[in-house]
Amino acid sequence: MLCCIFEEMIWVACFPHLPLNKPRMPYWQRLWFNLDAELVDNLVIFWCTLALFRGIGYYQQLREKEEAAAELRAQLAHAHVRALRMQLNPHFLFNTMNSISSLIRIDPMAADAMLEQLSSLLRMTLQRGEVQLIPISEEMQFTELYLAMQNLRFAGRISQEISVDPELHDALVPTMILQPLIENAYCHGLSRIQHEGLLTIAARREGSKLQVRVSNSGVGLLPEDGTRAGVGLANVQRRLRLHYGDEQSLSIDELPDRIVRVTITLPLSFRESEVATLTGYGVA
Amino acid sequence: MIHAVIADDEALARAKLRQLLQEERGIEIVGEATNADETFTLVRAMKPHLVFLDIHMPGMDGLDIAAELSQSKGSPVPHIVFTTAHDQYALRAFEVHAVDYLLKPFTHERLISAIEHVRKQISVDSQPTGISTSSTNTGRYATRIVFKSRGRIVFLPMSDIRWISAEENYVRIRTASEMHLLRETMARLQEKLDPDVFLRIHRSSIVNLQYVKEVRTEPDGEYSVVLLNGEKLGMSRTYRARITDLLMKS
Repeated sequence: MLCCIFEEMIWVACFPHLPLNKPRMPYWQRLWFNLDAELVDNLVIFWCTLALFRGIGYYQQLREKEEAAAELRAQLAHAHVRALRMQLNPHFLFNTMNSISSLIRIDPMAADAMLEQLSSLLRMTLQRGEVQLIPISEEMQFTELYLAMQNLRFAGRISQEISVDPELHDALVPTMILQPLIENAYCHGLSRIQHEGLLTIAARREGSKLQVRVSNSGVGLLPEDGTRAGVGLANVQRRLRLHYGDEQSLSIDELPDRIVRVTITLPLSFRESEVATLTGYGVA
Repeated sequence: MIHAVIADDEALARAKLRQLLQEERGIEIVGEATNADETFTLVRAMKPHLVFLDIHMPGMDGLDIAAELSQSKGSPVPHIVFTTAHDQYALRAFEVHAVDYLLKPFTHERLISAIEHVRKQISVDSQPTGISTSSTNTGRYATRIVFKSRGRIVFLPMSDIRWISAEENYVRIRTASEMHLLRETMARLQEKLDPDVFLRIHRSSIVNLQYVKEVRTEPDGEYSVVLLNGEKLGMSRTYRARITDLLMKS
């Protein structure tokens, strides 16, 4: 308000002939006349401009804040995923080392084989580095190695079947997402039966989703498993949520014949860049 | 008897090979080297058939040693099997004609398969040269392939492949004991294969004729190819004439 009056005073001082078609008036009279005619207009313009600029300012601040928050969230998610992966790795690593340690005495050849397989697994993991999503063909190679190691432990008592739709070999999944599920299948199902068992892993397409199922024969779902199976499953669940938000799901069912089936679904996406494979041809 | 030299700067690595090879028939260790110079001296003096060569060694790396050995005139060039903890040199090793590439730690079984490859190679080399060059396809088609499978480096002779199936951008290769999934198209792979040995029997499968027992007509009128191990593969009608031709010839 005061600004407007002050502005008007300057205007009136600068242009003594205004307003036109009126007799000459002294300064105060002219000021009064102008204020009367233009004050409302000026007020509106002033406040509108002020509001506009403040608005833009606020909007920019808000955007910056949002960006910072998003970045923070991404960093946090990344850190979480990394931490979760680290939780999986040492657990699995030391259990395997313990198996090798006991096999050294009982069956040196099997210990040798398991050590080679563990080295292959570590090599694959190290090469992957910080990559979080890998093609399912790579995850399955990892899984096959892991299963071969489990096979040594269970002396071939458990048959394993893996099937992946050919069109899905390049579909992306979080690294090592299957290992905890398979470990559960052994811990809570396959290891508790004396007779032959079956483990199946199947990946197929469900519309725009990728569905991966791990089923095992065993003792069905027992109530006490709820807490013990929890850690691995909770990790898988958390990682899925961090990667895919609400577009993923994890469920456990009991099928007839005490088969337990874990199903995960996630949005179907494929690796985009052509990766360099080692493959080469030669004439010996 | 295969005469072998072990070249590795680590005593325990040499000890492992020594112990495993001592159990093996038909192979004799004629010397051990701990660096490049010793390796050259040993190879010149003993003229071994086979050198187990570490890649990281003091003085000169194993790949350069292999390259130099292959250029030495007068003495026969030994077969090389690399033993290393690193997988990134596999392609270069393949290119300098190494017979195999063992990633440390390797199992007894993996070592045996490497020795088998060497044995085959030696028997091919000892054949009169007339036979190997008489084939019109020598040089045009690949005789072996290198790839990574389940964390291992595989140098696979094409003749070990029984059959191949297509899975979109991938091919599945089957040998006597293993199955490998490879990111490669059927068309590209077929270009590398000798058409006198590998035959397309279906839009999505190629079979090695060496392992085919018979072509059978099923009760429903469809054709199938039966392998020596009893495996049965579906065959498209259009490919039938060609396979019977080829089987008659062989």
